[in-house]
Amino acid sequence: MKFTLIIDDEKKTMKFREKLTIKDVLKNFNIPLEAVVIKKNGEIVIEEEQVDDGDIIEVIKVIYGG
Amino acid sequence: MLCTKCGSRNVIIHRRYSGQYLCKECFIKAIQKKVLKDIKKYKLIKKSDKVLVALSGGKDSTTVLDILSILAERNIIELEVITIDEGIGDYRKKGIEYASKTCKELGIPQHIFSFKKHFKVTIDEIMASKPPRKACTYCGVLRRWIINKEAEKLGADKIATGHNLDDEVQAIVMNYLEGNIENLIRIGPTTYSQKFVTKIKPLREIPEEEVTAYAMAKGLNVHLEECPYRKTSFRKKIGTILTKLSEDHPTILYSTLRGHEKIRKALKKELEGESILRACIRCGQPAAQDLCRACTLLNEIGG
Repeated sequence: MKFTLIIDDEKKTMKFREKLTIKDVLKNFNIPLEAVVIKKNGEIVIEEEQVDDGDIIEVIKVIYGG
Repeated sequence: MLCTKCGSRNVIIHRRYSGQYLCKECFIKAIQKKVLKDIKKYKLIKKSDKVLVALSGGKDSTTVLDILSILAERNIIELEVITIDEGIGDYRKKGIEYASKTCKELGIPQHIFSFKKHFKVTIDEIMASKPPRKACTYCGVLRRWIINKEAEKLGADKIATGHNLDDEVQAIVMNYLEGNIENLIRIGPTTYSQKFVTKIKPLREIPEEEVTAYAMAKGLNVHLEECPYRKTSFRKKIGTILTKLSEDHPTILYSTLRGHEKIRKALKKELEGESILRACIRCGQPAAQDLCRACTLLNEIGG
């Protein structure tokens, strides 16, 4: 199974075999939960959300300023 | 997971500090309710106040403007916007485009002022001259100088800024670590001085992550790029440590803020003497010494 990960305007195709959650994805990239907002297929989701085949996961970093 | 408030399956946020799960609608309502409640609780705004939002186009100030526009629509306050062009390459140009678009859409008057016009120098030019301080020092002090001066000219009663919970806690920790104990007294929901227009921080108790989520959930038109000078700042280092700590201690930002509120009262009693402000001999703005902070910095860089 595959999903697309968009992080810092960079698109990556990620392969996975077993059940995967957003939390696992963030852990893999060493990104703290409080530092990001995640969109799955254009909708905001929480860290417990499961990643499915073909999903587009967008990591929006919580950036200081503004 | 189901929304703690309405039972919807479309949960968009997990507040680990309280255990709540919220759907988009309940989350938007919860943020607006909390901000409006804090405005009342800390007496940030009076009826008929003319509030000037310091809008950069980023998530925080755009969210403040969005929530305060609820009060403006009900004719409780008058709302205008001030935007400062510090002269930071394309980063600031893009931010101003976002800010102007938002103001146009909401029908709110926007006043844009630049470092170049006021000080004849941009942040990029200051930094290119290899000055002794970091960009954030020049940027913050000079921006506040313009905002204070122009807010008074515009007849504003309050200046609303986008400071969120993370910003406040970073400021508390930074000032503590640097030994600037007097500055700790000044950190609070309002910054009042007889000589300046009062500044208010309506988002002070909203975590940065939730401000971002609110802007996304509402589809606000926000500039999400990071300032190129931010990467080197002390604030960023402190922010990274606090975010990391929050993973295992999700209430740490709120507990630090509440702890500071208690210490602040004691410090006020102990340390606060009314500092006498006079007119800066160079620009005429209120100053604690002969020169105000902005003119001191400009002098240092030969401006």
